[in-house]
Amino acid sequence: MKIRSYAAGRLIRGTSLVLMTVVLASCATGRIDPTDPVGENAKQIDGLMRLSGYMAAAVGIFVAIAVVLVVVKFRERPDDDPDELPKQIHGNRKAELTWTLIPVVLLVFLTVVTVPAVFDLSGKGDGRTIKVEAQQWWWQFSYDVDEDGTSDIITANEIVIPVGEEVNLEILSNDVIHSFWIPQLNGKRDAVPGRVHHWRISSPVPGIFYGECVEFCGLSHADMQMRAVVLENDDYDAWVLEQLTPATVPTNDAAKRGYDLFGRHCVSCHVVNGVYESAADGNANLTSGYAPNLTHLMTRTSFAGSVFELYKDDGSVNVADLREWVRNAPGQKAARPENRQGMISFAETLSDSELDDLLTYLLTLGGPPPLMPN
Amino acid sequence: MAITEERPEILELESGDTTSSTGVFARPTNATGWRAWLFTVDHKKIGIMYGVVAMFWFLWGGIEALLIRAQLFTPNGTVLTADQYNQLFTMHGTTMVFLVIMPLAAAFANYMVPLQIGARDVAFPRMNALGLWIFVFGGIFLNLSWFLGGGPDGGWFAYAPNTGVTFSPGAGMDFYALGLQIAGIASLVGAINLIVTIINMRAPGMTMLRMPVFTWMILVVQFLLLFALPVITVALILLSFDRTFDANFFNVSMGADPLLWQHLFWIFGHPEVYILILPSFGIVSETLPVFSRKPLFGYSVIVISGAAIGFMGWGVWAHHMFVSGLGPVGVAAFSATTMFIAVPTGVKILNWIATMWGGNLRFTLPMMFSVSLVSMFTIGGLSGVMHAVAPADTQQTDTYFIVAHFHYVLFGGALMGLFAGMYYWWPKAFGYRLNDKLGKWHFWAVLLGFNMAFGPMHILGLQGMARRHSRYGPEDGFDFWNAVVTIGAFVILIGMIIFAVNIVRSWLGYKEGTVPQEPADPWDGRTLEWAIPSPTPEHNFDYVPVVTDVDDFWHKKYQPDANGKLRKVADGNAIAQKGDQHPHLPSPSYWPIVLAAALPLIALGLIYNLWLTGIGLVLLLGSMFGWSLEPATDPDAGHGDHGDDHGPEEDGPDGNDKVEAETAEEAPVD
Repeated sequence: MKIRSYAAGRLIRGTSLVLMTVVLASCATGRIDPTDPVGENAKQIDGLMRLSGYMAAAVGIFVAIAVVLVVVKFRERPDDDPDELPKQIHGNRKAELTWTLIPVVLLVFLTVVTVPAVFDLSGKGDGRTIKVEAQQWWWQFSYDVDEDGTSDIITANEIVIPVGEEVNLEILSNDVIHSFWIPQLNGKRDAVPGRVHHWRISSPVPGIFYGECVEFCGLSHADMQMRAVVLENDDYDAWVLEQLTPATVPTNDAAKRGYDLFGRHCVSCHVVNGVYESAADGNANLTSGYAPNLTHLMTRTSFAGSVFELYKDDGSVNVADLREWVRNAPGQKAARPENRQGMISFAETLSDSELDDLLTYLLTLGGPPPLMPN
Repeated sequence: MAITEERPEILELESGDTTSSTGVFARPTNATGWRAWLFTVDHKKIGIMYGVVAMFWFLWGGIEALLIRAQLFTPNGTVLTADQYNQLFTMHGTTMVFLVIMPLAAAFANYMVPLQIGARDVAFPRMNALGLWIFVFGGIFLNLSWFLGGGPDGGWFAYAPNTGVTFSPGAGMDFYALGLQIAGIASLVGAINLIVTIINMRAPGMTMLRMPVFTWMILVVQFLLLFALPVITVALILLSFDRTFDANFFNVSMGADPLLWQHLFWIFGHPEVYILILPSFGIVSETLPVFSRKPLFGYSVIVISGAAIGFMGWGVWAHHMFVSGLGPVGVAAFSATTMFIAVPTGVKILNWIATMWGGNLRFTLPMMFSVSLVSMFTIGGLSGVMHAVAPADTQQTDTYFIVAHFHYVLFGGALMGLFAGMYYWWPKAFGYRLNDKLGKWHFWAVLLGFNMAFGPMHILGLQGMARRHSRYGPEDGFDFWNAVVTIGAFVILIGMIIFAVNIVRSWLGYKEGTVPQEPADPWDGRTLEWAIPSPTPEHNFDYVPVVTDVDDFWHKKYQPDANGKLRKVADGNAIAQKGDQHPHLPSPSYWPIVLAAALPLIALGLIYNLWLTGIGLVLLLGSMFGWSLEPATDPDAGHGDHGDDHGPEEDGPDGNDKVEAETAEEAPVD
């Protein structure tokens, strides 16, 4: 009886776990949510995942029932004659052939469904091409607007795309292997140094979609996120126009002081188009050679590998986090600046008033973003 | 004892001086105390030491896992820094794979394979000891990194170029690269030894298809090791050269392609998965028939599917690289091969269920762990088929869905099987059973904790929680299930504490006499290890049994009566050998442990100072020299009864000769 109750308990627990799984999976509340696909490719993948999931579940339930049945039905009973042996069966070719062939048939089916999908999902996107460069621990996106072979817009952590267009991505890495993943738009694709990988994303609706690096890339791997900002076509065109505008020297006193401080402390790594371009072709202070281009910093919704919000919920600038980041970046996000990995600390270098001035300058760099997170 | 180690005896004849051929030092002779363990060449002592050391690392790897889970208990955990977290998940994986599951399987293989095939030891007893000590020193070396500037931080998969000096400047990855090379030598030495043993030293009459399934699976695993380890060794040597001598194998700016590392790693890494799981498949193929009181359903199909998994395991490695940019042809091909490796695996599962079907199931502890392997592994196998659908894998890979999958395979599969083996063979190795009540608590705590810890990871993975992230945010919606997972991990800890208490209490009880001495055949066993006393006598078999069937020992107990109905004709304990003979055994030796100690010295030298490498090399060459001058069997030792000193390897290769010879040996017992 004891064993029977164990088995029944296991069955109940198993069933309730499955039920909970279904309930919870269907109302997941996270920002990164592969179970709620939006892009065409993500939807196709989701269909395959569900198909294989249901097949696996069916087989799993069959095996579970068989195990429970065996455990309950054939357990030793107190009144069993210890000298009485159960029927000694050494095998059954027919049965074994059957349960070899049934999985074969199921798997042939799954293969036949999978292989065309692999080829289907591997082509380039037919829309514009955006260069995706991964480095420790942020993303750079470059747009060649006039198609002359050089990048006209260089932005960080937020890839902006027009709605409904299947954008073609060229994924590269400037240091170690990373992986590009915005699950609601498509599966992931590694960024491998020395190689160019093609991938594509699209969304039929405007919005902000969250993504992150999913190939272990060293110390701050957990803090290498990104966003896809999908804009209506008009908004996208306006965004492009704004991004193409270079920055100018500020006229306001505080901002001008900040501008000068930027020129002293920041330009060895960061670029501001039109005014500070010395690091445009890479710099020796970082293993990857690049730090985020800040020309239109304030048109983004986040900073530092998309880990911190640039704006508060009420739409005002999140000055506190930005200031703390500029002051002591390694204290906010793991980095190894002494090994040229990540931004150095300015806690000892900049005074409070200097920080204020620098912040004032940074806040003049474009903005506000075309779309805010909800 | 062993054929190939008889060569020094020729030297002995040439010199005519028995003492000079024993080398510079006298041989160890202690039969008890720590020296008896340190210098032993007895496969049973070596097996037990493999087990003890592996359980120590299991504790260590478990603590690493619990620290990881403590960090992830809440969003933005502050228990660990990102750096510590990266080191801990790297070492948790490395430890559990290389220092726990592999050596636990080696423990069972060393102890049980000679017993299951009716041999007195393995083919090369001193090499066996060498393998053990290299593994021990390799594990210590790998973990020295914790005290010398921090553990490896590149993941157990160590993807280039993140593991180069540029990106991982500490010494951690050097310890990883060199430590795994050392551990690899241990496994290679063991693999060669066991292959030779299984092929050459089976009892007369034990054809390949009469061999116990556990021994079969161990044989398959040794071949996998033999071919897989050189690949990882090559990769690790390239990495070591990059790090130590500024080579450019993985330097992208010099034209390297980092995918080279991935291919090399996974050509090793995927067979490695079968290296980890097949021994447990072998164990449950032993326990299920015994506790169902039925023969294994489809013995030959199970054996062949095990071998098929071993073969097919070489053709699926790139499924670890579906998002690495292989191109659609490669992805499609590996997707298909990966699907079909599920076929032989599925056949095994169904054959095991069919073995139990219609049986008379005794729910002893080994049986409970075996049934949980069958059910838990199935879950891991099925999620594996889901990843084989390559487009689906582009969403699943590097998320907790994968973490759930391989823990169901390696914990729900491999480890459950190894626990089944521990409870099953404990009486044979130590003479007493582990306490049943504590064992049941252990089982239920582990099963519950395991499903709490790894079941919700499926949900987390589907929700998009990425692996190897030292934190997640409150906005990610992962809080609830991560809390459950962490609680589950600590429930597993409770189960393991119960297991440890059980071992100590049962052992103390046995010493005090409150835990009874087990007879030769406590479970009504089917294979040869149950035909000798418990615990196993030092020489294993008084006489080498002659085998006429699969499950030969069982057929000696049960035979058909006049109506063709199987009846018990003999009690296993009554017909078991008495263990009262004293044949000549291989002598202990200092050299294996000394030679093994040279390897970590060489490796430490490569990291810190080449002079140390020089000292290590001198020690290595010196002990090789001493080893080669030392006869396998000390001519001065063991002047006991030489009459029965006949290992099966001394018989001709012709099966008939063997049977005749051994029948003659059987005579005194009748």
